[in-house]
Amino acid sequence: MSGSAEFATSAAASWSVRAFLGRYGVALALPALLALGGLLSPSFVSAGNLSNLLLQFAPLAIVAIGQSFVMIVRGLDLSVASMMATAAVIATSFSGADHDVAGILAVTALVALAVGSLNGVLVTKRRVSPFLATLVTMILLQGLRFAYTQGAPSGNVPPALRVLGSARLGGIPYNSLVLLGVAVVLGIVLHRSAFGRRIFIVGGNPLTARLFGIRVDLITIACYVISSALAALAGLILSGYVGLVDNWVGQGYELDSIVACVVGRVSLSGGRGSILGALTGAAVIVVIANEVLLLGVPIQAQMIIKGVVIVAAAALYSRRETSSG
Amino acid sequence: MIAAIASRAATPLWLRHNAGVAGVIVLIGVVSVTGASVSDRFLTLANLLNVCEQTTDLALVSIGQTLTILAGGIDLSVGSLISLASCLTSGLINGNPDRVVPVATAVLLLGSFVGLLNAGLVVALRVHPLIVTLGMGAILQGVTLLYALGPVGRVPRGFSFLAYGRIADVPVGATLAVVLCGLVALLLRYLPLGRQVYALGDDANSARLVGLRRGRILMLVYGCSGFCCAATGLYLAARFGVGQPYTGVNYTLASITPVVLGGTLLSGGRGGVVGTLCGAFLISLLNNLLNFMDVSKHYQLVAQALIIILAVSIYVERRGME
Repeated sequence: MSGSAEFATSAAASWSVRAFLGRYGVALALPALLALGGLLSPSFVSAGNLSNLLLQFAPLAIVAIGQSFVMIVRGLDLSVASMMATAAVIATSFSGADHDVAGILAVTALVALAVGSLNGVLVTKRRVSPFLATLVTMILLQGLRFAYTQGAPSGNVPPALRVLGSARLGGIPYNSLVLLGVAVVLGIVLHRSAFGRRIFIVGGNPLTARLFGIRVDLITIACYVISSALAALAGLILSGYVGLVDNWVGQGYELDSIVACVVGRVSLSGGRGSILGALTGAAVIVVIANEVLLLGVPIQAQMIIKGVVIVAAAALYSRRETSSG
Repeated sequence: MIAAIASRAATPLWLRHNAGVAGVIVLIGVVSVTGASVSDRFLTLANLLNVCEQTTDLALVSIGQTLTILAGGIDLSVGSLISLASCLTSGLINGNPDRVVPVATAVLLLGSFVGLLNAGLVVALRVHPLIVTLGMGAILQGVTLLYALGPVGRVPRGFSFLAYGRIADVPVGATLAVVLCGLVALLLRYLPLGRQVYALGDDANSARLVGLRRGRILMLVYGCSGFCCAATGLYLAARFGVGQPYTGVNYTLASITPVVLGGTLLSGGRGGVVGTLCGAFLISLLNNLLNFMDVSKHYQLVAQALIIILAVSIYVERRGME
């Protein structure tokens, strides 16, 4: 793949100040937000609150990373929240003891593989629009989950998952360590591997990608599987955080993860995005929500602020993109 | 002889142009036949009119959603707008019959205005409608919750006529939905602006090159969508007798299903509201059939998903990656 190697060098070499600002400008907004939070309310920067922030940050960030893979190949994954809830239901379907964790992981991985493949196959082989394909799997998963639990899921989350979801190691939540691992591995995969290059080429121009001899369908399906797998992981973590299960674990994460990606400059039209962007976008959302809470603004205002942020961020990027070319 | 040949040649063409409507009618036929074999009461006029009555809300939202999708966009603010409309309706009327007309008018105007605002933002900010309406949805839900955290106000007894009223056994709300659908279908077919909706959705670039005004077209479709949401909000307030801040939340995604079942391409430019109306009816009919068969509510979702997969497999979106 000499073609993809050339792409890799040309993209990695663009380290000018402008390119840096363009790519990581939103990352600079984050320290500003943190400083503002510290100024407005001293309790914001307390170790306890920051640790709490990390705890809430991890699940959303993990989902957002998966969402960014799908968005880079011109897709959208609306089924992530349903996948999260399904993983949570699976987590409580066993006896609730630690020796079942391996089984839980295996079943969850299989379901995630099936869901991601179904999404990917519908999008590539049947040419269903990603929005519709993932909407259908969302409804399907929801229905199967309801049918399986008869509407009232019960059972216990194994202690090991509870530790993963809510415990801390010297102030740093375990789920953040998981997130760190996921981010580093997938960051290398996306930004430093031939596979990652191919993902960007497929998203940038599927036709060119095909002419390069890249298996467009396979790459796209892989991205959907990655998204479902990460959503399942986030669902397990969240079920450990909540400690009990209902049918709606992860509700709202599909939209929040899309918002995180858009704020983090992952392009809705594909071909552009980064793990760091997705992480930063997720962090901005969590920090804003936390500040709103600490400032005593009515909780309803959170939604209004979130709405304004997403539209404003998208408007900012579209201006820059159209003016620069 | 010539006429016979012409009609033979014309039939497939008609079918090709209305594959969606034809497909959904076939599915309705299949469900009806199955229903008739399950229960004698399924294919009775009374039951079918009940199904029509239950379709009203979904039909109303989906008509507006069809327009935005035809124009190549989507409206994800519908759920929140419905909630806001239903809360404002019952909150402002608050049981006073004199206020029904002014409040209903105001709510319909507000809905249309929110739609126009969506269109304005899409044009002015050059942001994808998906993002704009998603953001607008979050904002509207916040506003709704600021207005009311729980059920608010009440509507006078007479207002529920909109939801439960019958004239000569024909449900009023459903009739209004059909009339609205007919008006929109005529608008799409005979008004220049209506034809332009298809042109824009089919190929935005060509539409721009031939000088179509994207702003106007978008204002029409999002304005109509907002109006339809407000109407749905009024209807739900009438049905439940009270406005609730989360009453519309499920309609955001649910409104897309009938559109797709009715053969409208999610990528825009092809389809129509009549198919959507049939699609909404199909969903209600299917749920009704599953109720007759004593299938639990949970499996109804599975059935709905499977029928969508079936539908999209029949008419694959033939655009692919050009």
